[in-house]
Amino acid sequence: MGYFLLCGYKLIMEKFNEIASKSFGIPLTDIKDSLTPKDISEWDSMNYLLFIAELEKQCNISFSMDEVLNAQSLGDVRKALQTKI
Amino acid sequence: MKAKDVKFEDIKKGDSASFETIVTENDLKKFAELSGDYNPLHTDEKYAQGTEFGGKVIHGMLLGALVSRFIGMELPGKKALLLKETLEFKKPAMVGDVLTVKGIVVHKSEGVRLLELLMEIRTKKELLVSGAVFVRVLF
Repeated sequence: MGYFLLCGYKLIMEKFNEIASKSFGIPLTDIKDSLTPKDISEWDSMNYLLFIAELEKQCNISFSMDEVLNAQSLGDVRKALQTKI
Repeated sequence: MKAKDVKFEDIKKGDSASFETIVTENDLKKFAELSGDYNPLHTDEKYAQGTEFGGKVIHGMLLGALVSRFIGMELPGKKALLLKETLEFKKPAMVGDVLTVKGIVVHKSEGVRLLELLMEIRTKKELLVSGAVFVRVLF
């Protein structure tokens, strides 16, 4: 992976963490891929939809309905994002 | 009144819609009854005239209800599900003002069928309310 691509990738992953932190009301330092709705009280259906919409907006990508519905954890969403950058 | 039914697939960033309305004394009275908010700034003309506004001010949430009307009846209309609404009340709206309620799509999220719209309520002269709404478009 080239230097500039790596920088862009790192920035997007940092952005992912910031959006997750803000959407679910948890500290940035607590963001982990293993987190699921069971771990995050603010992860309700509305906040999840807003989280996905904000990721699409900030990262200029689109998720499919299947990707959105099948994600069980933050890591699943991150993986789906990684396939688009 | 019948809600419009704008298909999610047909909506794109930059699309907008608007309607005009006038809030009457009777609307204010009915909203006070419905909400239980009988604050004299909204219901007592004598009191309201003595304030800096010089008359009865329309409840902020009545203006919020106009945003609800916009989403539910205009864009996207029938299939709308309002998820989030943030409003800033910049200037008071008064009974009899001709209000234009306008919304513009600023983001469309395909994965979750969600729209973000910027909203404005204004008179011909000035902006009274600005805000944003997040709306899901149901199947």
